[in-house]
Amino acid sequence: MNKMSDNNYDSQGRYIVTKKDLRKANYRWLMSVCTFNYQTQQGGSVAYALSPILRKIYKNDDDYTKALNNHFQYYNTQPWLAGIILGACVAMEEKQGLAAKDAVQDFKVGTMGPLAGIGDSLLMTMIPTIMGSIAAYMALKGNMFGILLWMALIFVIFFLRMRAFEFGHKQGVKIITEYGDKINYLTEAASVLGLTVVGALIASVITVTTPVKFKFGAVAMKIQPMLDKILPAMIPVAITWFSYYLLTKKKISMTWLILLIIVFAMFMSAFGILA
Amino acid sequence: MHLTVIQIIMLTLLAFIKHVDYYGIPMLFVNYPVFWGLFTGIIMGDIKTGLVVGGTVQLMSLGVAGFGGSSVPDYGTTAIIATAFGAAVGKQAGLAIGLPVGMLGVQLDVIVKILNGFVVKKSQEYNNNHQYKKMNAILWLGPLFFGLSAAIPVFISVTLGQAAVNFILKSLPSWFMGGLTLAGKLLPAVGIAMLLKYMPAAKYINYLLIGFFFAAFLKVPIIGVAIFGFALAFAVYKQAEKEGEWKKSLQNTQSFVGEDE
Repeated sequence: MNKMSDNNYDSQGRYIVTKKDLRKANYRWLMSVCTFNYQTQQGGSVAYALSPILRKIYKNDDDYTKALNNHFQYYNTQPWLAGIILGACVAMEEKQGLAAKDAVQDFKVGTMGPLAGIGDSLLMTMIPTIMGSIAAYMALKGNMFGILLWMALIFVIFFLRMRAFEFGHKQGVKIITEYGDKINYLTEAASVLGLTVVGALIASVITVTTPVKFKFGAVAMKIQPMLDKILPAMIPVAITWFSYYLLTKKKISMTWLILLIIVFAMFMSAFGILA
Repeated sequence: MHLTVIQIIMLTLLAFIKHVDYYGIPMLFVNYPVFWGLFTGIIMGDIKTGLVVGGTVQLMSLGVAGFGGSSVPDYGTTAIIATAFGAAVGKQAGLAIGLPVGMLGVQLDVIVKILNGFVVKKSQEYNNNHQYKKMNAILWLGPLFFGLSAAIPVFISVTLGQAAVNFILKSLPSWFMGGLTLAGKLLPAVGIAMLLKYMPAAKYINYLLIGFFFAAFLKVPIIGVAIFGFALAFAVYKQAEKEGEWKKSLQNTQSFVGEDE
C-alpha cells in the first residue's frame, strides 16, 4: 500500500490502469496466434498479454494465479480485433477484481464467435481476395504498385490495431457504468450472430469428402454426389456433431479428441474412405 | 543452382520471420505470397522473378485462409522457395519444387500446434506454482516452433535442392502423409465443436441451422451470412431490450404496491 501515494491507486487502494499498461498489453498481444494449440487455441497468448496488467490489479499471488487461469482457458477469435474485447476485460477486472471473473469469461466467449466471423470474412477473406488479386495481376506484369497499395492498407490496419486495448478499455468502462444489464442483451445478440456464422463455417471450412465408388461391372457410381443430393456437407456435419457429442455428453478431453481424430484420419486415408 | 552462403542464411531467416509474422509477431504480411515473393526477389537480386512468382502463387492461394486455426498449405513458403529456384533455374522449375514443400507445410503446422499444447500446459503449470517468470518465458517456444516449421524446409530445399525434396517426400509413407492432410481438414471440426460447447448452441440451434442452410444450400459467402446474422442479432437485441424494460417496469410497480401496503 506504500504505493498509494502514486496517482495510480484509487481511494480504496485499487489499481487504476494507465495508458502505458494498455499499450504494453497491446505489444504483448502481438504474440496472438504464436502459442496456438488445439486445447486452448489462443489462451496462452491471452494470459501472456494480460499478465503484467493483472499483476498490478491483483497484488496477492493466489488472486493473480486465479485471474490468470481464467485467461488460460479456451479463446479463439480474429487477433486484429481481439484487443478491443481484452481491453474491456481489463476494465471489468480493474473495477470489480475477481468478482468479475465469470462475467469476463462469458463476455470473452460470447463475443469471440461474432468477432471471428466478421474478422475472418472481412479482414482475412475480403481484403486478401480483393487486394491480393490486384497486387498479383500487377506483379505478374512486373509492376509493384499493387503490392505497395496493399502494404499501405496493412500499415493503416496495424496502426488502428495498436490502439485496440485502449479503445476496448474505454468502452468497457462505459459498458459497465452506463449500460449495465444491456451487456446481457448484447451478449445474447452476439451469440445469435455467432451461431449463424458458425453454422455457415461448418459447411464452408471443413472440406472433407469421400472418394468411395461402387462398381457395377462397367458402371462406377460415386458416393459423394449422392450424399450431396441428400444433404450438402453431410460429412462435415457428422464430424462436427460427433466431436460436439464427445466433448459435451461424453466429457472427453480436447487432447484425446484430437488424437482420436488423427488416428481416425490415418485409417480413413489409408483405406481411401475420406479425403 | 548457385546460391551464396549469405543468400542461404538470408532465405532461411526470411522464412523464419515470415512464419513468426504469420502467427502474430507482428502479423503484417501474414502468409501472403506476393509479399514474400518480392522479398525473396530482393535477396536473390532478381525483383522481376520475385514479382512474377509471388503473383502466380498469390493467385493460386486466393480464398485459402486458415480460419479458426485450420491448417492450410503454406503458400508463403512456396513463394520463397519457388522464387529462389525461379531466379536460378526458371519459373516453372521453381514452382515444381516450391509447391510440394508448401503442401508439406500443412503437416508441419499440425505438428507445431500439437507441440504448443504441451508448451501452454506447462506455462499454466508454472502459473499454478506461482513461477510467473517461467510462465511467460516458456511461451516463447511457440513462435520459435512456428518459425522453424518454415525455416527448416526452406533451408533443406535451398541447400540440397530438388533431389532431396523428392527423396523426403517419397520416403514418408503415403498413409502418414495422406492421414495428416486429412487430419488437417478434419481438425477444424474440433475447433468448431469447442466453440459450440461454449456458446448457447442448444438454446439457439435454429440460428445454427439458418447459417448452415445459407452456406451449404445457397452457397452464400461467409460475409453474406454474417450480414444476415447481424440482422437477426439486431432483432434479438431489440426484443431482449423490450422484454428487459417490461420486466423492470413490472418490478417497479410491484415494489410500489408493496410500499403502499
